[in-house]
Amino acid sequence: MVKELERAGLPVVHVCTVTPISLTVVANTIVPAIAIPHPLGNPALDKTEEKALRRKLVMKALSALQTEVDGQKVFED
Amino acid sequence: MRLELGKINITDIRFAKESKIEQGVLYIDPDYLKPVVLEDEKIRDVVFDIAKPGESVRITPVKDVIEPRVKVEGRGGVFPGWTSKVDTVGSGRTLALKGMAVVTAGKIVGFQEGIIDMTGTGAKYTPFSKTLNLCMVCEPVEGLKQHDYEAAVRKAGFRVAAKIGELARGLEADEICVYETCGIREGIEKYPDLPRVAYVSMLQTQGLLHDTYVYGVDAKQIIPTILSPTEIMDGAVVSGNCVSACDKNPTYIHQNNPVVEDLFAQHGKTLNFVCQIITNENVYLADKERSSNMTAKLCRMLDLDGVVVTQEGFGNPDTDLIMNCKKIEAEGVKTVIVTDEYAGRDGKSQSLADADAAADAVVTGGNANEVVVLPKLDKVIGTLDYVNRIAGASEDTLRPDGTLEVELQVITGATNEMGFGTLSAR
Repeated sequence: MVKELERAGLPVVHVCTVTPISLTVVANTIVPAIAIPHPLGNPALDKTEEKALRRKLVMKALSALQTEVDGQKVFED
Repeated sequence: MRLELGKINITDIRFAKESKIEQGVLYIDPDYLKPVVLEDEKIRDVVFDIAKPGESVRITPVKDVIEPRVKVEGRGGVFPGWTSKVDTVGSGRTLALKGMAVVTAGKIVGFQEGIIDMTGTGAKYTPFSKTLNLCMVCEPVEGLKQHDYEAAVRKAGFRVAAKIGELARGLEADEICVYETCGIREGIEKYPDLPRVAYVSMLQTQGLLHDTYVYGVDAKQIIPTILSPTEIMDGAVVSGNCVSACDKNPTYIHQNNPVVEDLFAQHGKTLNFVCQIITNENVYLADKERSSNMTAKLCRMLDLDGVVVTQEGFGNPDTDLIMNCKKIEAEGVKTVIVTDEYAGRDGKSQSLADADAAADAVVTGGNANEVVVLPKLDKVIGTLDYVNRIAGASEDTLRPDGTLEVELQVITGATNEMGFGTLSAR
């Protein structure tokens, strides 16, 4: 999906937990997610903390989307 | 560590008024076992049944398969952390009831459990069509949460297997096998010219009822460590997972680990079998990195020449497998990895979710997506209510004529990644 969207000329950010697989399949803009069963949240947190975490992740993905990358880049904290 | 494993061959199981083992026949009074199950207040009732090889019987949903054993000499008892305290096991003498198994069945999650057929096409794929199976179907008390029910059934299985094992105490074994590993210095002095080989066993620990336990500890929480391979023969590692059933290791397969068996067969001849290393397959990337780093470090510190690595499950654990492989290879230690494949129904898709050039010696347990048709069988132990939803099935699985069209994925042990099954490829 990531490769095909990119091929069609759209900027793509791949938000995923297992970034090594993302690197193997040659995604370019990669943002690490939380965990495999809950990539975009953390049920261990309370609602307010979780909302903050989710917002941070989305903002990070949007910021990565606007960043020019030269080859593959994982956007660590 | 030295363990003598005495094998008592069981040739039949019959319900009887008195529980005993006589001339290879296990006589079981259900009332001997029932209190052992019902001592957990979370279980309302249990029904026992017997399934024999060749009978027109389907067992589903299958949770775990366990071999009854009893420790008769040496430290500790079987299933440490569960039916015994946590003494270090793996030495002395243990008796095992061969040719039979305890099978825990019945709905827990439903779609997470597996199928064992005692005859027909399915029987060719599951190793447990060849064992005499004492099946136990538990009913939970009302309102019990799935994870509490899973824990209750898992523990009840160990208690029943240990209780049956007790019937063997005092019996003469039909055969005794001796397994012995050396200390580090002793091994180097004794076998200076043999390659030092260990076995890296990856344990399924993804949570949400995909777990494995070591001496009672949830293996999600362990940092990789070393075991004497004889410890698992006493039940130091037990299963708490069964989805997708084809490539999960029921407790029985940990107890009878074929990689350990084969490495022991070569120990002192072509190699020095140093130890077993256990590691996990967690769902956080940092855990995957930490565990594979630790595993590679242990391989280096033990001065190994080679390791056999087995995976449990598929998907994201493929990354744990590849991380282990490339990091261990980077330490100068050769690896062979054992896995299975999800290559699509036609076998043409990529087999693993991850790959690396370091993984140049790979053994496969078969393609879990391969489709088979299972015949309608006369009797079901458990229920067919979930066969259309079990992992590897579809809404069209149960056909009007009663046959089942399924992927091998649904069959307990079919593509086992320790090589316990019969499938492979060249």
